[in-house]
Amino acid sequence: MTATLRAESVSFAYEPGRPVFKSVDASVSGGETVGLVGPNGSGKSTLLRVMCGLLRTRAGGVLLNGRPLSSYGGRDRARRVAFLPQAVNPAFALSVFEVVCLGRYPHMGAFGALGPRDKEAAERCMRDTEVDHLRGRDFLTLSGGERQRVLLASILAQEPEILLLDEPTSALDIHHQIEIFSLLDRLAHNRPGGYGILVVTHDLNLAARFCDRILLLGLNQSMLAEGPHDSVLTEPLLSRAYGAPIRVSRHPETGAPLVWAEAPREETGEKGDTPHNCRGASQHGGAP
Amino acid sequence: MRRTRNMAVVALIIASVALVVVSLVGGTERVDLGQAWREWREGLPPAQSPMLGIILDQRLPRTLAALIVGCGLALAGAAFQAMLRNPLAEPYTLGVASFGALGAWTATILIGAYSFPAYLLGLPTIQLLAFVFAELDIIIVYQLAAHRDRISPSVLLLGGITMGMLANGGILFMRYLADPNRVVMMDRWLMGGVDVLGYRPVLTLLAGVAPCAVILLAQAPKYDQLGFGPELAAGRGVNVRLLQATTFVVGSLMTAVAVSVVGTIAFVGLIVPHIVRSITGSRHRLLMPLSAVVGGGFLCFCDIIARKILPGETPIGIVTTLLGGPFFLYLLLRRRFTDWDA
Ligand SMILES: Nc1ncnc2c1ncn2[C@@H]1O[C@H](COP(=O)(O)OP(=O)(O)OP(=O)(O)O)[C@@H](O)[C@H]1O
Ligand SMILES: [Mg+2]
Repeated sequence: MTATLRAESVSFAYEPGRPVFKSVDASVSGGETVGLVGPNGSGKSTLLRVMCGLLRTRAGGVLLNGRPLSSYGGRDRARRVAFLPQAVNPAFALSVFEVVCLGRYPHMGAFGALGPRDKEAAERCMRDTEVDHLRGRDFLTLSGGERQRVLLASILAQEPEILLLDEPTSALDIHHQIEIFSLLDRLAHNRPGGYGILVVTHDLNLAARFCDRILLLGLNQSMLAEGPHDSVLTEPLLSRAYGAPIRVSRHPETGAPLVWAEAPREETGEKGDTPHNCRGASQHGGAP
Repeated sequence: MRRTRNMAVVALIIASVALVVVSLVGGTERVDLGQAWREWREGLPPAQSPMLGIILDQRLPRTLAALIVGCGLALAGAAFQAMLRNPLAEPYTLGVASFGALGAWTATILIGAYSFPAYLLGLPTIQLLAFVFAELDIIIVYQLAAHRDRISPSVLLLGGITMGMLANGGILFMRYLADPNRVVMMDRWLMGGVDVLGYRPVLTLLAGVAPCAVILLAQAPKYDQLGFGPELAAGRGVNVRLLQATTFVVGSLMTAVAVSVVGTIAFVGLIVPHIVRSITGSRHRLLMPLSAVVGGGFLCFCDIIARKILPGETPIGIVTTLLGGPFFLYLLLRRRFTDWDA
């Protein structure tokens, strides 16, 4: 049986009278990758916290395998659903290996001893995210991208059924972004009973390429669209969501959608139908 | 690397035990362990076994008091540091110790001058009031420094130190008003002293500190999770609110019982976890038990300095303050926090 995490018409407000979103539906099941996209402040991180059970909703409920998420004990839930927050700030120095081992917490006994199985899982996850060469390093001395990969390894070491990842690639270089998304793709699809992955990202092109479904949160406190990328990543929907002109074309080689935002037009600006990097180049060329 | 670390851990444990033994044997009067052993073997009445008497009636309670208080303060320090994610937090810098002492003073004066009952609900009023004051302090300091998920390290310490000064002001005021006969007895609290008489205070300390220590030690794996922030910890199944309540209640109870018997002893909870952390790293499953052991040894060490090296019988609180103050400044100078003023 594949695991399913489902948020049913959930509403949430940090402060009364100022809801972040109202009556939003979202779901993720084993064997699929779902992208959650939307502008800054639209509530993506908040929705993830709700779906992990960290925030209690005012209305609606979150179900894990048909049972209310709140009926699971903390560690029981963590063995099924893992959550990578958007930002973490470590307070004390720990080695990379120790950080990855922290992910074994929901599986540990009362005294927190690590068994050989725990260490094996940690080793495997470090190899998966290509951080095993960093194992002895102090986490605090790593670069931003290295940190993200180590944290992802520690989340994977939790061996859950559902992964909720909040911008796991925001600090990664162009190569590692693809590496991580390919890894997520493999984790979801390459084995029976694969992970269900809900991933927040601002890179719509990566989302289009790797996600089976895309959820688009708007600034109007609601889910604007949900479905495969060609039905969600359209110019009218995206422009509405971001409140700015967004363009979609086809990648000349892969044929995947290619999304970019138009730069704000200036008086002397040319027509914004080229990607802004090309526009920058032509502007530079045209300078006296 | 692992081996050198294990050896350092063993060395720390041995050193701590050695310090406890030295504190038992060393003192103003020389103690002959062999003679005490013979006296004990022969089972002579107390009048004919003076050496055994010195050890059992004077040295042992004193050493036990230092041991228990050192354990407790070091553990409370490690727990507060983990919970508040701040390496400079400890019972003294947070004001918990001083407020506990203020509570103990208040209770003593209420009992002495206003014939307040010495026991409330079967619990000693002094310890009870010390705990209430200490708990109040940690709640106020936390509320000052916390905003959403974050705790401002500088507000935490400024708030804690200010609260400590307030408590000390209150104590000095009561001292000023108090009956001069009582002042001498109460001054010891102000400066901290482990020169307890008999086993009653030792039993009070043990009853207060031991259960608290067990509870805090059991939280060690959760403190590890908290090292990466409350969100990640909560996602992994740690009940962060419960952990916080446990830490605040148990940590301040442990501190309150300690200061209600021996007075404010500063900086033990700062120095000891730092020394241990430099060897074990920040995994609390190792850091906390070792801090407890080293804390006991460390306070015995301070007691040796107070008795043998400094003139007269210097109160032990003065020793730890003179050691801990510069240490605190040194840590400020290095300032290796990650969220300094967030
Ligand atoms: N702890 C909090 N207390 C009060 N308001 C909050 C809190 N966290 C977030 N908000 C507000 O809720 C809204 C949604 O925030 P959220 O972090 O979910 O957005 P997001 O979609 O993840 O944005 P981003 O793309 O920038 O990460 C924002 O307006 C934010 O200011
Ligand atoms: Mg976010």
